[in-house]
Amino acid sequence: MGTQNINLLPPLVESGRFEELVQSGQTISATTSPFDNSLAIFLSPTNISGFKSDSDQEEPVYFASYDVVPSSERRLFIADTQVIFSMFHGMLESAKTREPSWLQSPEALELMRKFSVDYVNFIKECWIHASQPMPRADGPLQFSADHYRSLYSCFSLFVVLYLPEPGYEDAPVGEDLMEWLNIHFIEPSTEEGDHLSSLDKPWEDDDFWPYLKRVTLRGLTKASLFFFNTLLQHPSEDLRELAKTIIPVVESQPRLQNFSAERDFAFASRRWKDRVKAVRIEMDRVPEENRFDDFENWWDSLSDIVGILEGRNAVIQRVCEDLGADWKEVCAAWGIFSDSRLRRQDLVDVAAEVLETMPPDPTNLEDMIHSALFSGKPEQALRHASQFDTWLSAHFADIMEPLGLLEIDESAESELSRRDEYILSYAEYLHSDPTQWKTTVAYMYTCGDIGRERGDEVLVRVPLRLHPSETPSTPEEAIAQAVKEISEVCFNHQREAVRRTVCRVAAQTCVRHKDYGLAVSYCISAEDWVSLGRVIDSILDEYIKNGATAFAKQASKIAPSVQELQSRTVSEAIFVHRLVFAVRYSQIHRYKLEQDFTSAASDIVTLFREEIAPKSWWPVLLCDSVELLQYGPTLLFSTSDAAELLSKLEEISIRASQGSGDDYLSVLTRTIKGGGEKEALERLKVVRLALARYFARCTVGSDRHASPA
Amino acid sequence: MIQTGLIQNAHSDLVTDASYDFYGLRLATCSLDQRIKVWQLDEENGTWKVEDDWKAHDAAVSRVSWAHPEFGSIIASSSFDRTVKIWEHSPDAQPPTVNGNGSASQSQPSSSKWAERAVLLDARGTVRAVAFAPHHFGLKLATISTDNFLRVYECLEQPSLATWQLSEEIDVHTLPSTSSTSVHSRAHTVALATPTQTIAPEGASPSLVAQALLQQQGSAASRPGFGNREADGGWCISWCRDRYWGEILAAGCGISGIIKIIQLSPSRRPTTILVLDPSPSAPVADADKAFAVTCVSWAPSCGRSYHLIATGGRDGHVRIWKVKPAADDDGEQGDDAEMSGDEGRWTASVVGDFDEHQSTVGRVEWNVTGTVLSSAGNDGRVRLWKAALGGNIWRPAGSVGVEQAEETGTDGDKDVDMQS
Repeated sequence: MGTQNINLLPPLVESGRFEELVQSGQTISATTSPFDNSLAIFLSPTNISGFKSDSDQEEPVYFASYDVVPSSERRLFIADTQVIFSMFHGMLESAKTREPSWLQSPEALELMRKFSVDYVNFIKECWIHASQPMPRADGPLQFSADHYRSLYSCFSLFVVLYLPEPGYEDAPVGEDLMEWLNIHFIEPSTEEGDHLSSLDKPWEDDDFWPYLKRVTLRGLTKASLFFFNTLLQHPSEDLRELAKTIIPVVESQPRLQNFSAERDFAFASRRWKDRVKAVRIEMDRVPEENRFDDFENWWDSLSDIVGILEGRNAVIQRVCEDLGADWKEVCAAWGIFSDSRLRRQDLVDVAAEVLETMPPDPTNLEDMIHSALFSGKPEQALRHASQFDTWLSAHFADIMEPLGLLEIDESAESELSRRDEYILSYAEYLHSDPTQWKTTVAYMYTCGDIGRERGDEVLVRVPLRLHPSETPSTPEEAIAQAVKEISEVCFNHQREAVRRTVCRVAAQTCVRHKDYGLAVSYCISAEDWVSLGRVIDSILDEYIKNGATAFAKQASKIAPSVQELQSRTVSEAIFVHRLVFAVRYSQIHRYKLEQDFTSAASDIVTLFREEIAPKSWWPVLLCDSVELLQYGPTLLFSTSDAAELLSKLEEISIRASQGSGDDYLSVLTRTIKGGGEKEALERLKVVRLALARYFARCTVGSDRHASPA
Repeated sequence: MIQTGLIQNAHSDLVTDASYDFYGLRLATCSLDQRIKVWQLDEENGTWKVEDDWKAHDAAVSRVSWAHPEFGSIIASSSFDRTVKIWEHSPDAQPPTVNGNGSASQSQPSSSKWAERAVLLDARGTVRAVAFAPHHFGLKLATISTDNFLRVYECLEQPSLATWQLSEEIDVHTLPSTSSTSVHSRAHTVALATPTQTIAPEGASPSLVAQALLQQQGSAASRPGFGNREADGGWCISWCRDRYWGEILAAGCGISGIIKIIQLSPSRRPTTILVLDPSPSAPVADADKAFAVTCVSWAPSCGRSYHLIATGGRDGHVRIWKVKPAADDDGEQGDDAEMSGDEGRWTASVVGDFDEHQSTVGRVEWNVTGTVLSSAGNDGRVRLWKAALGGNIWRPAGSVGVEQAEETGTDGDKDVDMQS
């Protein structure tokens, strides 16, 4: 995939002259991106002198990816085949709840065959789609139609050889092979047939006999019968006679599919072979001088055809070589004519013999994959497949392992099984496209501990924002949506640690956007109490920095979280406590804004009585109460309430005089611009005065006292 | 390999370091021009636009490092002005520093959003590297400078980032090893080329007096080539990202040619648990022949039972070390006596040694899953390395350069053998 070694544009130096840059103190450097499989490349100093150099040259940063990012039809192909992959793994997962031998049962094999056939059908669709000359909305094809054709031929051969219908494992394979060959490597061409059939005397054409040989070899009975019938018009009487004999023989060649028992098929095949022998005897009776027509020696050509029908290996191989057919055709013809009962397990020996003299094309990976599959070398097939397309090797390996075709032991060095190595190598390629993160981790998470941890590294780096193409929304909504999607994947694969990290990052991001409501719920979701404490501090900071109104608005958003926390039995009570305080305190300010002073007053006292308010906030609360103490129309506090306020005020004063003022006054101090402890204490004097007045009012007009809430 | 992007005029001088944020959506670059720039990826079209650009130091910036996003948007920069600075990106931040004078030629971004939060002034030499610790250890960072000290800082006030405590200050050269010296002699018997060779940790520390003397002399007497010491040296650090083994980092400094694996612990003094030495059997007298290690990168172990650490140096070699943690019985090493000796100790072996760069290697770095190593050398190429099937052989997996491609496309010829 792609060139291995590239040079970036624009170039900085002529070819082979990088040394000159080094002489001038420059060298290359790079860093790898966690986003995808790319690098940032830049020019660096060979030795940093520490001082600004004189050069005022503009320096570029280049970016390069080590995988070609999937695009266009390839993306669809990847996404859609993952659906089959996931279903296949759902089946393997459920197999774990059964006996270990179940995977070898006909039921399991049937399912594996079904999924494999799904792959084959899907690849076929893709190939057809890619073959159509049409405008493509998502850009030109990334992989050619021929690439998908190769995938199609390889995957369907794999199914033919390794995933026969259950119960047919021991059935002869010849006809299946020939069918596969006829689907994927069409010979002879239809045009040739059309041309010959349009002639009055087709045997006068040079292509006639090669064509007839090829259709015989391929078992294309219809075509061969048609042309044998034309020979009934041939000037040679001998040939006409022979054609008459041959036609019913070709017509009656036994086909496995027409028999319900293999024994009957074998019997019929033997009897048919006897009839072919009879043809041979008749041929031999033709005198030498009658074996030619005006063009050539028809007898030799016909002899080849009869040789094929007889199943003479040497003839089949020679004819194939003459016709330019390769080893695949010889193997398939072998299974039809030489040994019509050829079993899958015996095919290996046949392939070995044929490949000995007709080796596969080493420059053609498809051919190499085919030959490895024929030869019963799944590991070798995987190696070639991985060079051809990591998709193919990954999905081959995925099915080969449960079929018992691969060693399941882990390699001592990589600590991965063969299957996992191929799957992970594909997943790594997928990581070049960050939008495919769900697919990437779906593959990684099927690969043991190593796969899981690699998947975690990818999953935890999924950006907390929507894909740009999606409808625009607020950053908070985007984060919420992204977290939801990631959490779902975490849940499906039980990746709790990742979920928590993602929640922590989300909480941090929300704090920066001042969305404290979400921040708190993410902290709780991550059970990160230290961060929760910090978020609450930030909310309370809002009060100090931006005043009561801004604070009340922010804090109201976290109210729902309090209920959630209180319903849990949380050991981190301290944080809950602070959270409750922030919410209750903001409630007081809301009451004030709504002019519900009675509730505001009673809540202030409750915060003190129930020891919800932290000491550092006591002075702030007391200052807040001044307004309520001075409220004219009614008395908002009971005498005991007011006494509670006074006692807190006393405690602050005493402690401050003992030098612990910092514990109590830090927050109030911060609300006073440029103020210190002294100013804070000054402020508290106002509270004392208000309280004194209030007590006075209580004595004078206790009848106007508001009833306690 | 395929080129995917370009920032035409990134800096007005050579770029000393570039570092992606956690997600790879932002890229911080720093330069000899004393500035830091933060770039943001536009996912729609794959282009990078500058988010912020400011003068960060009074000398060249050597490195930038991103903190984990759970702490916020934070970077640390180290510089030749002997400081390390902490920067935070926040929506309501004031423009960074008074000296943030944007050059007139540059279009200044609408608002500077990165603010200086702290300046760490402890180094007595130029600071060559800074790296945040893995997030599970808290908001911590390590720095290394040409005074040969590794310093570890911990942030005490997290939302404000104002206070950083110097929690460790380690003289890398003299830091003692945990193990007894008995192993030391065994190292001599191990052949250099043996793939499973074990590198013995350094022997006991020199006495305090010797240490003091060493410092007084500025290590000039004992270490050759003092005049070029900074030019020939290498200072680098890399954290072990695995939580399980505790706080461990790899550090190299000066011209010693070795990397020390240093374990930090809240209860004990830091110790060297392993030394990565490409020529352990070389007599001490040959120290002047050692080539400085310029870069080190600790791969994320991602579920493997062992660690991979890559080093690059002035000897032109990229090495991949397989490091096995302590107390891990391993049947691979046949020699029983050797095995019993390895119990409870970390061991290392070289699993990949490449000299394709043929010249100083300036940088090595792993991808996030620890499966692809990149190395950059003075041959002008950035090379990639991947493990072959089975994992025991590391192979070239492509390269990138900035030379003019030859028209006939034969440029790749000299690298043809690289095709895996």
